[in-house]
Amino acid sequence: MDRRRFAERSLKTAIVAAIASVIPGVLTLRGRSRSAATKGVEAGDRLVFALGQNAGQAITEGSFTQNEAVLAYPEGKSDNHENLVLVCKLDPAALKPPVDLAGTAHGVVAYSAICTHLGCTVRFSEEPMDQAPFPHIHCPCHGAMFDPQRGGVVLGGPPPRPLPQLPIKLNDKGEVLVAGAFSAPVGVKA
Amino acid sequence: MTIPRWFEERLALERFRAKYLGKPFPVHSTFFFGEIALFCFVVLVGTGLYLALFYEPSAAAVAAEGGRLPAAYASTLAIDAHPFGALMRRIHHWAAHLMIASVVLHLLRVYFTASYKRPREANWVLGLGLLGMTIAASFAGYLLPYDQFSVTATAIGYGIARSVPWIGPTLADYVFAGQFPSPETVPRFFAYHVVLAPLALSALIALHLVIVLKQKHTEFGVAARADAAEGKWIRGIPLWPEQTALMGVLFLVIVAVAAALAAFLPVHPSAYFGPPQPATPDVKPDWYLLWVYGALRLIPGTLSVRVLGATIGPEAIGAMLVPGILSLLVVLVPWLDRTPSTLYYAEAPTAGPRRLALGLAVLVLFLALSLAGFGTELGLSVPVLWIVTVVAPVATAVGAAAYARRRAERVGVSRTP
Repeated sequence: MDRRRFAERSLKTAIVAAIASVIPGVLTLRGRSRSAATKGVEAGDRLVFALGQNAGQAITEGSFTQNEAVLAYPEGKSDNHENLVLVCKLDPAALKPPVDLAGTAHGVVAYSAICTHLGCTVRFSEEPMDQAPFPHIHCPCHGAMFDPQRGGVVLGGPPPRPLPQLPIKLNDKGEVLVAGAFSAPVGVKA
Repeated sequence: MTIPRWFEERLALERFRAKYLGKPFPVHSTFFFGEIALFCFVVLVGTGLYLALFYEPSAAAVAAEGGRLPAAYASTLAIDAHPFGALMRRIHHWAAHLMIASVVLHLLRVYFTASYKRPREANWVLGLGLLGMTIAASFAGYLLPYDQFSVTATAIGYGIARSVPWIGPTLADYVFAGQFPSPETVPRFFAYHVVLAPLALSALIALHLVIVLKQKHTEFGVAARADAAEGKWIRGIPLWPEQTALMGVLFLVIVAVAAALAAFLPVHPSAYFGPPQPATPDVKPDWYLLWVYGALRLIPGTLSVRVLGATIGPEAIGAMLVPGILSLLVVLVPWLDRTPSTLYYAEAPTAGPRRLALGLAVLVLFLALSLAGFGTELGLSVPVLWIVTVVAPVATAVGAAAYARRRAERVGVSRTP
C-alpha cells in the first residue's frame, strides 16, 4: 500500500468511526419510557375528579345529572395524561351498540378523554348545538365529534377511530370503579 | 502617528474597503424584506438573551402564587410581573411574527420576479430552509412559557409526530424526549429554541449572504436596457456609507415597530391562559400555521390509506402529507420552471403566465386552508370549505394566466419591467 492510499483509507476509517461513536449518544435522546415511570388504568381503580374544587375526590353516581359529564383520573394516577377519562351520565335506555353495556351502570359510561385524532382533551356538549346530535362529545382542536350513546363512534370531523370505552361499575357507595381495560389503544396511533 | 493610520498599517483597511464596502445594493423597497428578517433575528437574539437570564426551563412544581406551579410557568409570570420583563417578552414575540412575515414576503418577491432561476437555485433552497427553521424555532418557543396554550400546541405537535407512518411513536419520543408531557420535554425544547435554532439560523443566514455577495442580486429590467447601451454594470448604492446608513435607519424602525406593537398590543398573556391543566381550551395556531390547522379540520376521519403495514391516517395526511407535498413543490420551483434564465435580471411578475398562475394559486390555496381554520366561527360547513379550497386556487390560476397572456400580447413577451 502506498502512502496516498494509506492516508485515504485512514481518513475514511476515521470518518466511519467518528459517526459510529455518536450513535450511543443519539440513542439517549429518546427519553425515558412512560410505561416505566407511571402506571396505566387498572380494574378496581376508583375514578376521581380531575378538575375543579372537588379534584381528587371520588366521583359518585350522584355527582352529576343526566346528560352531564366530568373529567376523571384513576385515583393517584393523574401523572399520566393518557389515563384521563370522560365519565358521562346518559339515559340508560338510549345506549345502543357498539357500546359495551356490561361496562356501564345506571347510564354511567366512561370513555378515554384523549381525542384519537391528535390527542387533545375532548368535551361533552351539555347543551344541544346546531347541526349536531345531542348528546355528543366533541374536540375543541380540529372539530371531531363522537357519539357517547353508541360506544364513542365518530359522528364527524377528522378522527380516524372511535373513542376507546373504559368499562366501569358502581360500588355500594355509588362510587365509579374501573371494571376492565380500555376497549382500544388510547390516543394517537400511527 | 494617528490612530486610523496605526490600524491602516496593520490591517490594510483601505484594501478591504475597496474590495467589499463598495458592493452595490439595489434601491427598491421590495429588496428590504430579507434585511428586515435579519434585523428581526438580531432583535430576537437580544431580547431572547435577556429572557433566558430569568427563565427557568423546568416543568417541576415550585411554590408560586400561593400554590404549586411548573417552574417554567412561574418564571414566565415573574418576567411578566416586571414591566420591563413584560415588554421584552412581548417584543420577542412580536419580532418573531415580523421575522416570519418578512421571510414570507421576501420569498414572494423572489418568486414573482423569477429571481430563483439559474444560477440562484441553491440560495432559493437555502432561503426555504431558513423559513422552515424560523417556523421550527417559533414552534419550539411555543412550549417555553408552559401555560395551557403552550402545552396544548405542543401536545398537537406530539400527536402529529406520532401519526407519521412506520416510525411515528419512535420519532415522537426522540423529538419530544419521551411521551409528551414528559418532565424532559421542557429542557429539550429550551435547548432547541435557545441553542440549536439560533446557531443553525446564524449559519444558514451567513451562507445565504455569502452566496448573494458572490452571485450578486438580480436587477430590474431597466438595468437590462441600460446594460445594452452602456455595457454590463451593477447598479445600486454602495454598502458604505449609503446602504449602511439605510440599514441603520431600518434597524431602528424595526425596533420601534416591535416595541410599539409590544406596548399597545399584548401578545400571548400567559396568565390569561393559566397553568397546564387536563382540559383543552379553544386554541388556534398562529397565522403562519393556520393553513396546516385548516387542512387538519378538512380531512375527514374516513380518509386513510394502508401502505406496507402502516396506516396513513387523516392526521398524517393533513399535517404531514399535504404540507410535505406543498413544500416539495415550492423547493422544486427552480427546476419546474423550464423557461430560460437571463442570469442577471429580475423578470416582471406577468412575464411568465405559468409562474404567475401557479404562484397565485398556491398563495390562494394557503389562504383558503387558513380560512378553513375559521370554518366554525364563520358558520361555513366542511363541504363548503372544501369547495372553496378547490375552486378558489383553480379560478385564480386561470384568471392570472389569462391576465398575464393578455398583458404579454400588449407589451411584448420578452420585456422585463
